[in-house]
Amino acid sequence: MKDLKRKFAAGLGSFKLSFFALFFALLTGAIAIALSGYSPIETYKAIIVGSLGSKQGIILSLSSATPLIFTGLAFATAYKVKMINIGAEGQLYLGAMAGAVVGAYITGLPRLVHIPLTLLSGALVGGLIGILVVFLKVKFGASEIITTIMLNEIILLFTSYLSSGPLKPEDSVIPQTHVIQETAQLTRLAPRSQLSSAIFIAIAAAVLIHILIKKTPLGYEIQVTGLNRRAAETAGISITKMYLITFFLSGAIAGLCGSSLVMGVNRRFVEGISANYGYSGISVAALGAYNPLSIIFSATLFGILKSGAITLNRTTAVPIEFVDAIQAVVVAYVAAPRLIEAVLSLKNKIGLKKEKSLNRQQNLAEGEVIKDDGNI
Amino acid sequence: MELIKMTNISKYFHHVVALDGVDFYLNKGEILSLLGENGAGKTTLMKILYGMISPDSGEIYYKGQKVNFHRPLDAINMGIGMVHQHFMLVPAFTVLENIVAGAEPSKGIFLDIEKAREEVGELIRRFNFNISLDDKVERLSVGEQQRVEILKALYRKAEVLILDEPTAVLTPTEVDEIFVILDELRKEGCSIVIITHKLKETFAIADRISVLRDGKMIANNVDPKKLSENELSKMMVGREINLGVKRPAKNIGKVRLRVKNLVVKDGGRKKVDNVSFDLRDGEILGIAGVEGNGQTELIEALTGLRRPESMELELNGKKLEGDANTFLRNKIGHVPEDRLAMGLVKEMSVKKNLILGYHREEDFCKNIFLDEKNIEKYAEDLKAKYGIKASHIEDPISALSGGNQQKVVIARTFSRDPDVLIVAHPTRGVDVGAIEYIHGKLLELRDRGKAILLISADLDEVMTLSDRILVLYEGKIVRECQQGELSDVELGLLMTGGNLEMALGGEI
Amino acid sequence: MMEIFNILEIIITSTLRMSVPLILASTGATFSMRSGVSDLGCEGMMIGGAFFGVLGSYIFDNAWIGLLFAALFGMLFALQHAVLHVTFKVNATLSGMSVNLLSAATATLLLQIIWGRHGNSPRVSAFSKIQADWLKKLPVIGEMLAEQNILFYLSLVIVILAWIYMFKTNSGLRLRMVGENPQAANTVGINVVAYKYFGVLMCGLLCGLGGAYLSLGQLNIFVDGMTGGRGYIAIVINAFGGFSPIGSLLGSLFFGFFESLQTIFQGKLIPSNIVRMMPYILTIIVLSIGIRSSKAPAGVGKYHDE
Repeated sequence: MKDLKRKFAAGLGSFKLSFFALFFALLTGAIAIALSGYSPIETYKAIIVGSLGSKQGIILSLSSATPLIFTGLAFATAYKVKMINIGAEGQLYLGAMAGAVVGAYITGLPRLVHIPLTLLSGALVGGLIGILVVFLKVKFGASEIITTIMLNEIILLFTSYLSSGPLKPEDSVIPQTHVIQETAQLTRLAPRSQLSSAIFIAIAAAVLIHILIKKTPLGYEIQVTGLNRRAAETAGISITKMYLITFFLSGAIAGLCGSSLVMGVNRRFVEGISANYGYSGISVAALGAYNPLSIIFSATLFGILKSGAITLNRTTAVPIEFVDAIQAVVVAYVAAPRLIEAVLSLKNKIGLKKEKSLNRQQNLAEGEVIKDDGNI
Repeated sequence: MELIKMTNISKYFHHVVALDGVDFYLNKGEILSLLGENGAGKTTLMKILYGMISPDSGEIYYKGQKVNFHRPLDAINMGIGMVHQHFMLVPAFTVLENIVAGAEPSKGIFLDIEKAREEVGELIRRFNFNISLDDKVERLSVGEQQRVEILKALYRKAEVLILDEPTAVLTPTEVDEIFVILDELRKEGCSIVIITHKLKETFAIADRISVLRDGKMIANNVDPKKLSENELSKMMVGREINLGVKRPAKNIGKVRLRVKNLVVKDGGRKKVDNVSFDLRDGEILGIAGVEGNGQTELIEALTGLRRPESMELELNGKKLEGDANTFLRNKIGHVPEDRLAMGLVKEMSVKKNLILGYHREEDFCKNIFLDEKNIEKYAEDLKAKYGIKASHIEDPISALSGGNQQKVVIARTFSRDPDVLIVAHPTRGVDVGAIEYIHGKLLELRDRGKAILLISADLDEVMTLSDRILVLYEGKIVRECQQGELSDVELGLLMTGGNLEMALGGEI
Repeated sequence: MMEIFNILEIIITSTLRMSVPLILASTGATFSMRSGVSDLGCEGMMIGGAFFGVLGSYIFDNAWIGLLFAALFGMLFALQHAVLHVTFKVNATLSGMSVNLLSAATATLLLQIIWGRHGNSPRVSAFSKIQADWLKKLPVIGEMLAEQNILFYLSLVIVILAWIYMFKTNSGLRLRMVGENPQAANTVGINVVAYKYFGVLMCGLLCGLGGAYLSLGQLNIFVDGMTGGRGYIAIVINAFGGFSPIGSLLGSLFFGFFESLQTIFQGKLIPSNIVRMMPYILTIIVLSIGIRSSKAPAGVGKYHDE
């Protein structure tokens, strides 16, 4: 009983933090909308109606959420060992390219084999990029932050080269690859939509990662490594191994996102297949307090915002990029429990209900305090 | 003349009392020993005087005038200087830069380095400091760094000097040197506060003693000439303590661990230089040495944390090689030198910390999952057995006191029935009660036939517990001796590379 | 013979041109790192500078006012980093990334709102080549120098001033002390928070100027993604150059040289996409083996009151 209460209190702390972070982000967004000469209330109303008011809207919300579950999960997984994987974007592109190649050029396989094979090809190349990053870090001390960003640029250029050159169908004018075989296509859950069975794969991945981290000795080792590297070493845990495992998983999940996009949405690799999903994953993970299960919800939330903004774009003049801005602000707020506390205590001063120390609860909940080591 | 007066000072940290209505005073030209054990509030009180912490209540008077220090600069400007326990120096700067930074002489906006050199040089001559201004601080010994800190204060014209545990990191010889300097400063009219928990030094230099216990001032005006060490320690702790009672080993058994030709290099330098020794069942083998003479590297090699350049290690007569995991699985227990940095995960629960390093052993796992139920039972068991004061085994380690944190480490290691124990600084920064407890546990394990290697910077600890002592200097074992064979002065000399025969021959 | 000289001239001219944004940004990074603040927000500050530089120039039809805008908005994004990391103690990586995400989103959003355009801004007045005939007459290097605009010369002046500030003035010594050991700086009465803010804001200012060079110096429009990771590359250059302004200058020239090779190879033997990978691959190589000996200020990421 006491345990339950304790867990509940801790969970509540990070939930509260995420809630206020989102709230303040939307508030900031409202101010920005007002400053650009639109009505914030009308805009938000239109977003809600657009995303949740119709079956079409809900489907769009879910399909927008799917890649975000993957990329949010990818960021959070690496972050469990306090490694920053900003490379989800690149890993996604490479995964998509692998999926497009395996899906298009391998023929004659039954669906039951071709689909997993194509999915896993994406996961594999994404994971290998993760391994490369860890190799550079462990062997040379190269910061994973910079290497992943550089690899993003390199991979984008590389896939763009492939899709505009060697792999481009002859009759195509834009950079893209051949359509994949039907045996490699994921089922669409609704006609004329982008919602595919990929969403189940995403949710399954989140649940599996959650179980891995919370319930297994390996997950315990991952947690220890993330919280105190030297203590992990002293306890006989190989840091390199933990880095390799988590970064491989992280890259694999991002790669899976890529191959599932090819298989479920585009049916081929196209340039710009990801609408910055890799980067949005950072916001999704932060809002979900790096908890795999919460990430399903935070991704859905951003999915709703996005699909709302898409419909919004058709009806009013508020641009869709506005969602990116809100996502960016969310990261800032979630990362700064002390900031939220300060804002809340401002409210206290004008006589609103007092909030308990959010910051402390947050620390207890996840121990997300990390030290910068100054090395890059 | 009363130079400083602090009245009714109170300070709370998150509703925990650190200082409770403390009165304090300092006279001109005296050396005051502010005595108390770890966590008594000595440093907090002095940080308040130095403007680093603001008190929740109370007043401070300097030269009869009420003052309010909001930041260290206010105190510095009034002529108060503080040398912190962890030196506040920039390793990458030169001695000169370290001394003047923050109060630099200038030509316009530019640094007047020549003037700085003159002024500091003058100070060095006046007080006979032996130090070179252009050396980088990272290359200085601890004793030299301390002198830089004192120079920093003197350069800012300090009349009051607060030193926080100034001898904690010094060798006996360096302690003598610093005392000479302090004596010199006292003659020049400087007033000095020494924060310490060491009685010996208090008696050696203090004019007056103030005793803090649990945030309260127990006695403000103790004359060191009128009290015995025992009376004073009782005052400090609040009860009789039994530290320093020797209990020699009764049955030392066969060789359990044999170390031969251990060499550890770091950046081309030999940190451990051809060390060989045997460790037997039922004995505590102590390593005495000034920190930084290869202890860390020795521990790392003997726990598998680092691959040495060369080592032949035999455990139970069989060759042993591998990583930290291999060593743990071969029943070599390790109490690491820094519990929070290496031994514990402070955000994790007491429960989870109690299985760290042993989490893959059979009783903690079920199939591919952790066996939560068993782990919980195990943790409750250890909590009771080792008297770990935590309200719940789900509490994070950070909620525990230093002593209880160390008990978690000890409980974890000692309960897995290790054959060999590598124990580093087991009582660093813990209160006297925990020290007694941990010493008792170590002796108990030894008497049960375990082989224990004890590495400690606290020479008294090594001398009390060890059945045999190895003196480590610059990575070499310069002497082996039995318990009680050498005095602390003799050991101190060996620890600093001195030659016993010559030194004693000359003196006597 | 003439041919080789011509190619050499093209390479040097373009090296200098490619170096300017890197020089400015990496010198900015120097200020940030020397004050003990990790500088992962450089990219965002550059984007801010590039975009608002164009906006300023668009509004006032004056490149100099654009430059002023770039500096101010670079500092504004830096302020976000400083407030989050220095005041509210957010992990510098997350704080820096939030700057990058927000400034990129802001730029795209404002492109939409102000001009109703995706991807790029309209053309605005920009900086042109410096008008100095005497410069052209200098032997060998004259032509190459005359090809540069005023910002090139400005960046050199900034590097020298930054170096003098950091290593020859009282304030510079204090800045470095804050970066090496904020607690120590605090105990001798240095205002640690103020110096950190100063370091970060200087970083924002210079990164803003670096961004403006891209939009107003090399081109006369803002294009989405035009910074192309130069903010991150600048971070690596800064470490490569030993966290010193002069080192940053030399490192930038080195990277600028490799970027300029693109202009030679582009569209010839090798596909342009492949050629354009070069600076990124170089960054990874330098990061892996080029900066091992360079030690970051010891106090990066540390606070004076913890």
